[in-house]
Amino acid sequence: MTDLAIETRGLGLRLGREFSLADVALSVPAGAIYGFLGPNGSGKTSTIRALLGLYPGFIGTASILGMPVPARLPEILARIGYVPERPHLYRRLTVAQSLEFHAAFHQRWDRAWVTELAARFGLRSGAEIGSLSKGETAKLMLLQALGQKPDLLMLDEPTDGLDPVVRRDVLAALLEYVERSKATVFISSHLVHELERICDWVGVMDQGRLVAQVRMEAFKHGIKRVRVPAGAVRPVGAAVTVIATDSVAGADEWVVRDWTTNSAAALAGAGVTVREVIDLDLEEAFVELLRSFRRSVGRAA
Amino acid sequence: MFERLDPRSPTPLYAQIAERLKVAIASGELEPGAALESVRALAARIRVNPATVVQAYRDLEAEGFVEMRQGSGTYVRAVSAERRSRQRETQARQLVRTMLADAARLGVHPAEIRAALQDELKETR
Repeated sequence: MTDLAIETRGLGLRLGREFSLADVALSVPAGAIYGFLGPNGSGKTSTIRALLGLYPGFIGTASILGMPVPARLPEILARIGYVPERPHLYRRLTVAQSLEFHAAFHQRWDRAWVTELAARFGLRSGAEIGSLSKGETAKLMLLQALGQKPDLLMLDEPTDGLDPVVRRDVLAALLEYVERSKATVFISSHLVHELERICDWVGVMDQGRLVAQVRMEAFKHGIKRVRVPAGAVRPVGAAVTVIATDSVAGADEWVVRDWTTNSAAALAGAGVTVREVIDLDLEEAFVELLRSFRRSVGRAA
Repeated sequence: MFERLDPRSPTPLYAQIAERLKVAIASGELEPGAALESVRALAARIRVNPATVVQAYRDLEAEGFVEMRQGSGTYVRAVSAERRSRQRETQARQLVRTMLADAARLGVHPAEIRAALQDELKETR
């Protein structure tokens, strides 16, 4: 069994009348960079907040770094670097004061490295936090999370709304730390392209549910668009799973999941000639997956 | 060397990285004994998972292009002239395959490709 940095089973939560999390079963392998994808409002932030003990009323079980939540939260939190969606910083402190303040809570705080990173990020230590730009604020947040040398980084939309230059700096520092420490990263985003390069696992949320959780390669390469003759009959049984169909000029296109090198032959055996197999990128695969999930929810309702 | 890596390509990123390095070794751009960038530096610079870089380096080592020295780094090995020319041949074939696949998709006839290729080669000569 692989070690899991985060494991939830049957995680559920009711928040108000409209929104809930249901039956979220996360398995985040230790050492992975796990992309937590989903549209805005799909439940990513609520899941993260539940894991950090901010919603005590959740049902189901959760453990982080092998310790149960919420029973051992103090120990857990000491080993997590958390960057929330909205920064919570004291606007009247300077950068240096904020870092000092943060350092006081963390035994493993790495002063030398923080100083080096702050310089590289171009953060002026005397600057008041209220006067920082959005990009500088994001860098400070990441710096505070990294400085404590966490075993797990929980990053909630850490680069949302940042310009490309800042995004690069932030990701580079993150990847450098991961290589050095072998820490696990749990990173939520709706910016699919950004995660495509760096993640080795993805979990997809929609409407408070975990729709899929797979290795990045399997996710990207398992979902294909295949062109078949117009009017081809969808095979019944296990040949491939067709999750969407389209008609284009002179042909039909099927979006299929769990595609393998044998799938074209399996379809041929079922009497369907595959004319072309088109690769989808992560964003397209993501969109098709959500569409099919929403259709199935719509049918069930 | 790592410009335009394509996360959308069906070729995994680690294979793309290894391929670029092989080309550089085959062309002599990277000489025997040269040190590859550290995993940490390369991952941060091109913004990929460090595990992806490790896998690329391991594959290169398995194929005999580089040597990974524990705690020191990864170094280019001496590759025979014959092997380097074979590598360039593979590269050329790959380029042609990609081109032919595109041509087929666009409905360009093989004869038209041949003519265009000959024409272009004349230009570059």
